[in-house]
Amino acid sequence: MISERVKSNLKQTFSESLLPKIGLLLLISILFMAMFAPILATHDPTRTGHYTEEGAEYPPLGHEYTTQVAADGEIGEVTVRGSSEHVLGTNNVGQDVYSRFLYGARISLLVGLLGTSMAVAIGVPVGLVAGYYGGRVDDGLMRIADVMLAFPALVLALALIGVFGESPVQVPDPIVLAGLAEGMPESIPIPGTVTIVVGLVTWVWFARVARGEALSIRNEEYVKAARSFGASNWTILSKHVLPNSLTPIIVLATIQVAVIILLEASLAYLGFSGTTLSWGYEIERGQDVLRTRPWVSMLPGIGIVLAVISVNLLGDWFRDALDPNIEGEGR
Amino acid sequence: MKRKRDYQALDSLDTVYGYYIQMTLGKFLVRRILQGVFVIWGVITIMFGLRAVSPGDPANLMLAEGATQALVEQVREEEGLNEPIYVQYFDYLQGMVVGDFGYSWQSNREVEAMVIERIPATVELAVAATIVAIVIAIPLGVVSATRRNQPSDYGATLFSLLGISTPNFWLGLMLILILGVWAGLFPTGRRPVGFGTAVLTLAQTGSPSDIFTWLKYIALPAITLGTYFTALITRLTRSGMVDELGKPYVTASQAKGLPAVLVRYKHVLRNTMIPILTVLGLQIGTLMGGAVITETVFNWPGLGLRLIDALDARDWPLMQGIVVFIAIAFVSINIVVDALYASLDPRVSDE
Repeated sequence: MISERVKSNLKQTFSESLLPKIGLLLLISILFMAMFAPILATHDPTRTGHYTEEGAEYPPLGHEYTTQVAADGEIGEVTVRGSSEHVLGTNNVGQDVYSRFLYGARISLLVGLLGTSMAVAIGVPVGLVAGYYGGRVDDGLMRIADVMLAFPALVLALALIGVFGESPVQVPDPIVLAGLAEGMPESIPIPGTVTIVVGLVTWVWFARVARGEALSIRNEEYVKAARSFGASNWTILSKHVLPNSLTPIIVLATIQVAVIILLEASLAYLGFSGTTLSWGYEIERGQDVLRTRPWVSMLPGIGIVLAVISVNLLGDWFRDALDPNIEGEGR
Repeated sequence: MKRKRDYQALDSLDTVYGYYIQMTLGKFLVRRILQGVFVIWGVITIMFGLRAVSPGDPANLMLAEGATQALVEQVREEEGLNEPIYVQYFDYLQGMVVGDFGYSWQSNREVEAMVIERIPATVELAVAATIVAIVIAIPLGVVSATRRNQPSDYGATLFSLLGISTPNFWLGLMLILILGVWAGLFPTGRRPVGFGTAVLTLAQTGSPSDIFTWLKYIALPAITLGTYFTALITRLTRSGMVDELGKPYVTASQAKGLPAVLVRYKHVLRNTMIPILTVLGLQIGTLMGGAVITETVFNWPGLGLRLIDALDARDWPLMQGIVVFIAIAFVSINIVVDALYASLDPRVSDE
């Protein structure tokens, strides 16, 4: 399926340019962060109430700020300093920003990967069938795709979540269950509806690409040969058309992980997520205290940017190595 | 028929390219408009379906808590909620056809009016963002493509990478924080004046102060919404130009003695822009999605902010009205883009 030529192209592009190396390094670090979040975290990310003695939020280590606190029935000004207990400070409900930053990576990557898989699972079969059979089947499926395209992905996602609710799914954490991390939550909530919905609103890009591939492959000599030997349509689709359309689908899938991470963050920012661990949700929460405690919004945003950049760099690498014609699709 | 489809296979960015080869522009437009009507019908139907399966009794959403059962019944009857679902559907569709989008459940105002009054702010924002994007992106893309692997190319690449990777709500907040709060360069509250009012003031009193106020308030939202598109167009322009510059006609025109600048801007850029136009047409949805977010961050009184309010209140008629309006805008803009494309492409003959 992955030919020698593809492998050598990938290697060559990787060694020639700095960007794929940065992308891969970034992605591995974020994956590491996400996987071992319970071990790397210093506090339970959901535990609230980490305040200073004066009852104020901690700024990041090495920083200080002045705030008003109520003490003995009076309001007084105090200067609060960062503490090594909370290296990146605490948010406005007194949760540890650093620990939440780590857990946020889990939500982003999980939704990005699962959501993209959803979109591939719907879009690729639809596109292959449309392109391969052509005619009415193609017209029908592509008109449905047109309707999907007319909805802004975010707007349709919002409407769908509005209807079906957020339904967070509690996923047990194997690292905590194995006893490797004390005092961390045994399960974390994954935004259930969001994961499905982001797939439902982005499959159409995969359908378009898969269709284009199927359209050109179905007239190739080897497909004609297979047909003349009496191979069924199913066999041709699964043995010839699918494997030969994989390259642009893989490129698109990589780029789409980035798109879906951004989409999930946007939904969480708007308050439609189902988990408070999402980076997007944390940015929204920090918005209320943006002027006085900017670190609450700043750090999760940096997390999103880094995650998306790493995936985009990887996507660019694949695209440059495999398929230079895909630029611009699916964004 | 078969030959037509083979053409289509050549290009995965197809929609128009190839498919309508040897079709007249008139026929092409009729076909596109019919498709557009179908798309809008599809959007209306999906929205109706979502509303039908959404939990909660609309009558309860419309009335204050503690309304009597009799009142609930009365509202259900008046709104036609006791009718079978297909009757409700056809009533709804009929209303949409004549431009009657119903009444907002929350405010009991006409949905059309609530949509129309919010259009200017969103259009102002979208146009401003597009201008920001085009003005920055095209020169950047051209420079990047003509000076490949030089520092300016790396700079442009880094900028566009950051641009497509930054969530716009966060970018907006950071702009508010850095340029608004810390540097004090831009105001951060809700805008006091719209473009229409500002122009009116200018016409009546000759004072441009409202225009300046308007500009100051729209700057950060426009940058926020425009950054992604700036980055996207920079990338598209760069890669398109790189492809074009390698084509024989460039060498030929240079060999003929045409100045490089002329070749670059007159021929190469033009040929690059045509496919970019189609991709951008499809991005109108992303632009609208981005507008929803940007309007929320900046409390910008446009359609997106109203959509979020409608969602929070589960105000379905208003939600449907806004979504259908967005779909109509999307379809119309794409038809215009396709028509432009078709008229620019010599392969679509117009007899």
